[in-house]
Formats: sequence, structure tokens, C-alpha cells
Amino acid sequence: MISQYSGISPKGDLILLERLGEKLKGKSFLHINSTRAGGGVAEILQRMIPILVELGIDARWEVIEGDERFFDLTKKIHNAVQGNSEKITEDMWRHHYEINKKNAERINLDADAVLIHDPQPSPLIEFRKTGRWIWRCHIDVSHPVKEVCDYLLRYCQRYEAAVFSVAKFARAMGVDEFIIPPSIDPVSEKNRAMSPDEINKTLDRFQIPADRPMLLQVSRFDRFKDPIGVIKAHRMVKKYNDCILVLAGSPATDDPEGEAVLKEVREFAADDPDIHILLLPPFSDRDINALQRAATIVIQKSLKEGFGLTVSEAMWKGKPVIGGAAGGIPLQIIHGVTGFLVHSVEGLAFRIRQFLNNPEMVQRMGENGREHVRNNFLITRQIRDYLSVWYYLENKGALIEL
Amino acid sequence: MEEIRPFEFKQCVNLIKSTGMRARTLRELRERTAVVSSESIFHHTYQYFLKGHALEYTNDFAHWAGESLEERALSEHLSNVDPYAFKNIEDLRMELLNVIDGYLKNFPEPREAMPGDEFYFNETVTLTSPLGIKAKNLAEFLIAIKYVDAAAIYYHFYEARVRLGVDDFSKWLEDSLDKKEVAERIRGIDPFMHSIEEIRKHIYESIEEEVRTEMEAVGL
Repeated sequence: MISQYSGISPKGDLILLERLGEKLKGKSFLHINSTRAGGGVAEILQRMIPILVELGIDARWEVIEGDERFFDLTKKIHNAVQGNSEKITEDMWRHHYEINKKNAERINLDADAVLIHDPQPSPLIEFRKTGRWIWRCHIDVSHPVKEVCDYLLRYCQRYEAAVFSVAKFARAMGVDEFIIPPSIDPVSEKNRAMSPDEINKTLDRFQIPADRPMLLQVSRFDRFKDPIGVIKAHRMVKKYNDCILVLAGSPATDDPEGEAVLKEVREFAADDPDIHILLLPPFSDRDINALQRAATIVIQKSLKEGFGLTVSEAMWKGKPVIGGAAGGIPLQIIHGVTGFLVHSVEGLAFRIRQFLNNPEMVQRMGENGREHVRNNFLITRQIRDYLSVWYYLENKGALIEL
Repeated sequence: MEEIRPFEFKQCVNLIKSTGMRARTLRELRERTAVVSSESIFHHTYQYFLKGHALEYTNDFAHWAGESLEERALSEHLSNVDPYAFKNIEDLRMELLNVIDGYLKNFPEPREAMPGDEFYFNETVTLTSPLGIKAKNLAEFLIAIKYVDAAAIYYHFYEARVRLGVDDFSKWLEDSLDKKEVAERIRGIDPFMHSIEEIRKHIYESIEEEVRTEMEAVGL
């Protein structure tokens, strides 16, 4: 498994992984989250656990179980920590705790290190037996509903450490707080190398012409991803450069607005033959990979974003990315080096034109982007960081020799 | 004959830790910079080069002043602060405060940073690890420098200055191989003006030239 990353991930990361594996060999590492499939957390855990096992670590992944009421209220908590107005009653908090208590009876919580992902299973800390307990927050908690956040902090502050994806998501919690960005897996179906034939088959199936430059945005149909703004920018560009626009996204079952936004987008695009709106079924990894590889320029014009890993996915395929300066996007796009950060539709249109008229710039920034992802956003780096946090908790100090 | 001490290549990984402190205005930046941990000052100045790109600035303070406050003159002043010119972090902290104070005194109050664009004070935990590569002579060193990971170049070229006052490479070349000239050439590389890959290239070229000169001297 690890050998697959040789020649792809930085050598130094692979050496450190082996070294950390030697230090933590035979120890147990338990991950707990709230879903086995769907979503970025499950996606990365599926790939990460076998690698940890290969390193000699006794890694396990458990998923908490709950009733419909539990997942309704954890969705509300999720929304509230991301800043949406939600009311969580005392009774709901009690249910949150009770479901976690039942899970604590069912799951073997004995481990040398336990990584609890996101707020849903956070009360499990109440049932801690042994080991280092770390809370991993994947979501944007920079502007939460205060009461909800304060309640959750009662649990989270009892962990030995917390991990956030971006510095601005961290809070003064009174425990060690680490910043570890998420990552992509370069050998997964979504990111592996593809033959031109495979790419063309996807384009043919979606009837996308390959005779002109292609602009692509892959995202849910969500107003925060500004699909209408992307279409407006495409119209501005078309006055100067011939190009097609592809907007590709999966329906989000947890987003009741998705359908309405998709309708708006379709109406706004009208019958423009150069705009292709693709509603992809879930798990369309191969098609997304092919579209990203076929694109000339990738756009992620988010107004609000968690981390926005589609940016890293595109950069890994050697594409320059133009993105909104939201969430984790500025960490991935180094302005003028791996792409451009924009703040308006006009800015997006201008940068698209700049790229379309400078093929050399497209190539140079695309190559820079791929190296930036190689050094910072691959799964091997993320595993290295998780193990480093664990090792740090065992051997505290500002400088640790491995 | 005294045995030559080999050069042992190491690398480091820096885990970023949040201090929980942030600044939205220049006055807040000044206030927090005065009290934040020395590890945080270290991270935002010396470790700026971890970003791996030759950017427009030389530390995070200058970067924030330029990009988030859009105060170009302030960012130029802050970029001119050379962390290696100070004996300790406290002197460096004082210099940063002096620059900010001077600016606040002579220029109009800068605007607030946009929400989400505040300055976040972080620090790091450093884990070091040997790479298992040792060089006993110039030729071995030349091959190693070409292929070691960028993290190793960072550790020996930048991080070493904080430990030793100079980079590890030139120190070993001078102390163990008595190669003063090539050591001087490496010390002459401006750490602020190059990406890590450019630093590697400069070091490689200096060593390669030295190896060629040695070979010519023995008629090879």
C-alpha cells in the first residue's frame, strides 16, 4: 500500500512515516466518526486505515450508530457551529449524550490513541478509558452560534488536543490545538492518472466538445459556490475568447436548497450551447477525474467554503485554479504562483482571459500547483501529521528527535 | 590521521499549533506581538521559508501588512527586518514592535482586516529525523544534495541558523573538510531571495565546481 506512494509523495514524508511507524509500532489507534460512506471524512479514513496498519499500527475505525432524531439534531449542531441560526434544546443535548453513551457501551474504546472526528461523537470523551484522546474538527467553526459552541466545548475541552483544518477555525480552547489541513489521495479513483482514451470517453458520454478550451467548476449546486457568478464570468470572457463552461455537481441529499439552485442555474444558462450543466450521481469519481483532466482552467469561485479540496484535486492534475478567497482556498492557491484568488465576477473573468491568452502561464502555474499539492496536500502528509501529534502528546517538547 | 566526521542529513517536520490569539487591526497586532510566545515570533519570522516559495515578503507580519491591511510601506519596512541579525527572539520582537510603532506614529491608521483575514498567531512543534544518508567527502555530498528531500535542505540551511548561527552545510565543509572557499560561497547565498529548490541548485553548483577543480588538480 505505502509502496504505491513511492515516487509520488515526497520522500521525506515516506521516511518520516516509517520512522513514526517504528516508534508507534504495535500501539492501537482508534478513529471514530458518524458515517461509513459519503463525505470527505469517510473517504479519507477508508484510505488511511490500511496505511496505518501497514506501518505496524493497530488501527481501527468505528462508526457511531444513532436514530433519526440523533442525526437530525447533529445536523442542526453541524449547521449551528458553521454559523446558521439553530436552536438546540436541553432535551436534544440529553439525547445527543444518551446516544453516545449507548455507543460507548457497544464500541471498544480501549486504545493508545483515539481520534474523534467532528461534533457528533464528541461526548464519547465522557467514557474515556485509556490513551490519548484527540478531537478532530473538519468543519468551519470560525463563526459559530455561541450557545451551541459553548455547550460542545464542555466536551471538546476535555480532550488532550484538538485538530483544525485551517488556523482561522481554531479557538482558544485551553488545550493544544494543531492545524492540519485535509488531503487528497493521489492513487484513488478520483485522482489517479488516466489515459487520453478514458478522458475522451467521459467527454463523449456527456457530449462535451474537446475542440475549444474548457472552464470547469466541480461543486454542489449551492449559492455559496456562486454558479451564477461563474456563468456571468463565462459570458464576459466569451466576448473575447471562445471557450466552453462545464458546471458539474452531485445532488446533495442533506441540502434542501440544492434543487432550487440547480433550477436557477439552468434557467440562467438558458439554451447557451457552450454551457454544460452536469448532475452527476454520487461516487462519480472517475468522471470527475476525467473532467478535471480535460479542463483548461478550473474554477472554484466559492463565497464560503470549508476547505475546498476540489482545488487540490485540480492542481494535482496540473491545472491552474482560479478561486474565491474563502475557507481553505487561499492555503491552496498561492496567488500568482499556482493560480489566482479573486473577489468578484469581473476578477474571475479577467483572470480567465489572462490564462486563455497565455498558454505558457497555464502550464507554469499548473506545474507549480501540482508541486504545491505534492508537498502539502497528499494523504501521506496528513497521516504523518496525525502520527506526529500523537507522538508529541507522548513526548511533549518544542523539539522532538525521532 | 584524524577521521573525517561525516555529514549526516536530517529533516524536520513542523506541526503548526494555534495560540488562539488573533489580530484584526495593526494596533491589535502590536498588542499581541508584545505578549505572544517567543515560539510564535520564531514561527512567523524564521519559519516563513517553510512555505517553499520565494514570495514577495520575508515574514508573516510583512505578508499580512501587505496583503490583508494593504499597507505597502509597512510591509516593506517589516520585510526589511532580518531575523538572523538579532541575538535572540526578544531583540527581534522589539524590532518588530519598533517598526509597527514608527508606522503608527507617522502614517494614518490602517483599516481593519476583512473578517476571516485576521492575523492568526501560531507556533510550531518540530520533529527531526535522520534520513539515513551520510556523506564522507565532497563527491558523496554532491550526490546527496541533489536528491535529498526539500525538508532536509530547509533543516540544514534555515533551521540550522537558529541553532548555530550559520547553515550546517558551510559549517561542515569548513570544519570537517577545510573547504573555506566553498563554505564562503554557500554562506553568500541570500536566504531571503530564493526558494528551497533554488538554494539546492546554488549549493549543488558550488560543490560541483569544487569537485571539478579537485579532479583537474589531480589530472583527472
